Amino acid sequence: MSAPQQPTDTAPTDTALGDDTATRTVLTPAASGVGDPDDILEPAVDDALGADAVIEPVDTDADGAAGAAEDDEDDEDGDDLLVREGDVAGDYLERLLDILDKDGDIDLDVEGDRASVAIVGGKLTDLIGPDGATLEALQELTRLAVAQSTGVRSRLMLDVGEYRAKRRADLTTLAGETAGRVASSGQPERLSPMNPFERKVVHDVIASVAGVHSESEGEEPNRRVVVLPDR
Amino acid sequence: MLEDALEHLVKGIVDHPEDVTVDLLTNRRGKTLEIRVHPDDLGKVIGRGGRTAKALRQVMTGVGGRGLRVDVVDTDGR
Repeated sequence: MSAPQQPTDTAPTDTALGDDTATRTVLTPAASGVGDPDDILEPAVDDALGADAVIEPVDTDADGAAGAAEDDEDDEDGDDLLVREGDVAGDYLERLLDILDKDGDIDLDVEGDRASVAIVGGKLTDLIGPDGATLEALQELTRLAVAQSTGVRSRLMLDVGEYRAKRRADLTTLAGETAGRVASSGQPERLSPMNPFERKVVHDVIASVAGVHSESEGEEPNRRVVVLPDR
Repeated sequence: MLEDALEHLVKGIVDHPEDVTVDLLTNRRGKTLEIRVHPDDLGKVIGRGGRTAKALRQVMTGVGGRGLRVDVVDTDGR
């Protein structure tokens, strides 16, 4: 490699990159914690639309991976792929924890038609980040690493330190309480802006309550759920 | 440690992991991690609209601090 070592003197060269991509992409530190949540959260858009985007609290069973593999022995190839996705993701993340000298175990599972990967234990807050922004980024990279290995686009769900599981529980409570109020008052209520994963959790709860329904309104990143009375 | 972590993250998502190098530079503006990859992998590391580079930056500032910069450098040797 004869690449120049000077940090700032690499001459911009016209390469195959599109003109919207600078030859040297300089990434300044995020001005705010959430940076550009719209962009970071974009992969979850299909999650909100998918029928099965339910994220269950991840089983902390230490032999989750082995269990998942055994459960799948009489299933079709789809589940084999999901198990393989989990294995690749687990290796990728475990090596990262190792390099960062972080404690943490990797739990692997298959939830519906997705691989589910969770990093549990240890001090993991800096892998979660403000409003889960670092977790979303790590999920994005893990999906790319899995796709690189399997050749198939991955929709795996990553959780760190039970962040998603807790967020899900909190939102389930919030949605249930809101549904109760709207059902008795007949008055619509708007919730705070949420990302697609969060809105999906709320929509699912509202859909299970008689007498109310929900819609989303507004544009990312300020898109929010509105809970409405039925007629 | 930071450069090893970033190198690992990048190696996992490119076609030519053997050509990935990451250097940690320190100057008066703070710490910068410079990523060099095979020219054919530049698009993968940057991603559509810079999305992958943004994810790499988000993870690295998460573990290395807000002031850490992450740059992708063209290394086609011209």
